[in-house]
Amino acid sequence: MIDSLRAKWDRASRTYDRATCSDHFRFGAAKRHLFARMRGRCLMLATGTGTDFQHFPSGLHVTSIDISPGMLARARGRALAYDGRLDLVRADARTLPFADGSFDTVAAVCTFCSVPDPVRGLRELRRVLKPEGRLLLFEHVRSRLAQLAIMQDLLTPLTRWLGPDMNRDTVGNAERAGFRILREENVYLDLVKAIEAVPL
Amino acid sequence: MNAGLRARETGADGSAPRGSWAWAYLLGEYAAGVATAVATALPIHALVDRDWDMVVAMLAGTVLGSIAHVLVLGVLGPLVGFFHVMAPGALIGMYGGMLFGMRDSMQAASWSQTVAFAVATGIAVVVAVQLYDRALRSEADGSGRQETTP
Repeated sequence: MIDSLRAKWDRASRTYDRATCSDHFRFGAAKRHLFARMRGRCLMLATGTGTDFQHFPSGLHVTSIDISPGMLARARGRALAYDGRLDLVRADARTLPFADGSFDTVAAVCTFCSVPDPVRGLRELRRVLKPEGRLLLFEHVRSRLAQLAIMQDLLTPLTRWLGPDMNRDTVGNAERAGFRILREENVYLDLVKAIEAVPL
Repeated sequence: MNAGLRARETGADGSAPRGSWAWAYLLGEYAAGVATAVATALPIHALVDRDWDMVVAMLAGTVLGSIAHVLVLGVLGPLVGFFHVMAPGALIGMYGGMLFGMRDSMQAASWSQTVAFAVATGIAVVVAVQLYDRALRSEADGSGRQETTP
């Protein structure tokens, strides 16, 4: 399972920047607004090619993980350009190699659309987060508008083959994993959301 | 505020305002909507005749529209933004396709009329989605925990 996941994202890493450049540009301001809440020791999940490092406040100590060596290799240059300390680590979000309560902030961008068992992954985040820590998620989710949700359900088998699922209930999954949602902001329709949560 | 207009305020990297990009993306959304509508309407017009049962024509329209939507999404998604192409495109492909199928089973329209109707439908849906986006981001969702992005 992990090998196939890694292979899928290694494949995707070759075209990832080109395929998502417009989304990165258009959602840049909303990501900066969300990441302005990053504090203390930070964990970034699913680094990708590191395009989101530019939105981090400067001067933080960030540990950034990804399951794909291909993605991490492409993120290296951007990690070096970050004005702070940024360590890249190869790891699976469902089995994090960190002690309990290691981080003040955990951030993730479009991650829980692809983690095979999202509730397990979110529980793992809760474990490594300090009790007073913050979870910051920038995720696309299943719309509450039935007309759009049907299309997301139909598209998901295709998009899953390429990368993410389109129809995840990430807000509900975070609550099921033991988080309390503090803020849930619509960034584009109710498809793309910025979410801030704390451990219960 | 529309995501395209928000992008006008600052670049994604915090750089100076990039107004031309915001307008380019806005135009791109309309182009994607029109492209999806035309790519949906033309094969339906070629396939569906007045002797078709309306329900069958509507179902065929939905299927062809969904396929057209995915093709346009693959081409224009990286240029305009996947979500900004997907949301209006899904509505145009699925429900516009249904409408185009119904229309072609009811009347013998010319190719130019079909294209004009498709262009108008594409623009109308993109406008509606942008208004809905604005409404969603300016109103709380009732849970009392939603804020709008400044």
